[in-house]
Amino acid sequence: MSTPMIDITDLSKFYGKARGIEHLNLEINEGEIFGFIGPNGAGKSTTIRILMNMIFPTGGSARIMGMDVIRETKKIKSLVGYIPSDANAYSAMDVHEFLTYCIRFYQVENGEKRITELSELFELDLNRKIDELSLGNRKKVSIVQSLMHSPKLLILDEPTTGLDPLMQSVFFELLRSENKRGMTIFFSSHILGEVQMFCKRVAIIKEGKIIQLEDIDTLRKKQLKKVSIEFTDQLIKENLTIPGVEKVITGPDNIISFMYSGTLNDLVGFLSGKKLINLMIEEPSLDEIFMHYYKN
Amino acid sequence: MNRNLFLKEMRRNASSLMIWMIVITFLIVLTMSVYRTFMDNQSKIVGMLSLIPKGALQFKGISNFNDLLSVLGFYSVNNIIYMMVLGSIFAIVLSSNILLKEEYNKTAEYLLTRPVNRSEIFFSKLAVLLLNVFLLNLVTSLAGFICIELVKRAPFSIGSFLILSTYTLLLNILFAAIGLFISTLIKRAKPVTTFSIGLVLILYFIYTLSKITESASKIGYISPFRFANVDAINPYYSLEFWHLAYFIGISLLLTGLSCRLYIRKDIYT
Repeated sequence: MSTPMIDITDLSKFYGKARGIEHLNLEINEGEIFGFIGPNGAGKSTTIRILMNMIFPTGGSARIMGMDVIRETKKIKSLVGYIPSDANAYSAMDVHEFLTYCIRFYQVENGEKRITELSELFELDLNRKIDELSLGNRKKVSIVQSLMHSPKLLILDEPTTGLDPLMQSVFFELLRSENKRGMTIFFSSHILGEVQMFCKRVAIIKEGKIIQLEDIDTLRKKQLKKVSIEFTDQLIKENLTIPGVEKVITGPDNIISFMYSGTLNDLVGFLSGKKLINLMIEEPSLDEIFMHYYKN
Repeated sequence: MNRNLFLKEMRRNASSLMIWMIVITFLIVLTMSVYRTFMDNQSKIVGMLSLIPKGALQFKGISNFNDLLSVLGFYSVNNIIYMMVLGSIFAIVLSSNILLKEEYNKTAEYLLTRPVNRSEIFFSKLAVLLLNVFLLNLVTSLAGFICIELVKRAPFSIGSFLILSTYTLLLNILFAAIGLFISTLIKRAKPVTTFSIGLVLILYFIYTLSKITESASKIGYISPFRFANVDAINPYYSLEFWHLAYFIGISLLLTGLSCRLYIRKDIYT
């Protein structure tokens, strides 16, 4: 069995008494595109900062490519690329100067060529001063610096903030092609749509703990259904008490919709004999799944 | 030490170093340029100075009017505030920000995710700090030496001049170590420049107060200025072992503690 790309065991971080993450366990395999979703303050950035050895865990351990993130951080960082959510590059430098400074930390052949290739792809002006750049262009700089040494693992923390849709598409296309060449991608975001579109497997983090870890497809198909019923029988609305019904929304013209985590047999059993006009059972979007886990 | 980081930091601090060098050199040249006028009118000036209360003169570092008549005495009395106080302010401001600015400027996420250990970051920045302090001292001492050579009316002891310069350098390095230590204690990054400057000025004030008031002489020992002997025209002027041990020992201790704290520090941006 091959060594996991990221192996987090019982990882905890407390800031005094405040919880960062608590007994987190996670295993990400080589070549995966893994989504890590949760709202602000759930513990996503704390986890990433421990992986990048910016902060130290209170308990547990984390390994990247089998190496301890504290003891072997230098070796790990030579193989990892990182896009921070909100980082400012050295404002007095121009883009080229900054990227050259970054690439000199790695033993990269044809570094200059790589900088040019990636900058052209993202239409980045290398001569502009960093402090003159817009948020979107600073993000492009951040993307280029993370990829120019061709890392084996790419850790992304809210990577698309500030990027226009065209550049987002270029970015995701590039990530897909790098992934095909073997790069593992750890994608942390609270934008569920892009996680849904891009990732194969996802972990949902809530209050410092992973509450769900699934394939995106399985997560959607596994339990939760979005049910819409158009009815003429008011009893449906009044007696909708079967287990697994949540978040009932009453629409116009005798339509109700709700999230349903019970069995289809129970639902069909309940509806049999009732006067229905229309029944629709759909797979919910990731947003709806996410809200479901968060409400519970 | 990481060469890439060292060179980047040297470039980043070059303009600041240049400005401090120019300002301190200018002040030294300005002060020393009045030495000949002072000597030509020494009886009048000494007469004027005698009207000033002794405590006020001691606050300025003048304990004996005769100190001012020797070119080295004039240099040490008039330039201590520039070379020792301003030099220490330069050292503490640079040192208290050299690690911390990566955090409050939000560049730490780029630096700490490079293949470089915390200890390499620390020692690269320490090397930049020491080289900056050394260059400032070298240039300002050289300027002082040239000024003394140009305005002197009698020979002076080069050995004493070098001892005075060594004390200044050691004092500046000690303040650099203090600044570094303070910065590693800060949990949530913010600039500590005002605090650092205030600390140097308070310690200088304590030192001068201890010289003025007999009853306050003991509190002078809490100030590093007390251990930088500026009595350069004393025939027994030398680098005293315990003073050297004080500067080197505390500087090494604080630097060692800073390194240890930085290596284990949680860094946020």
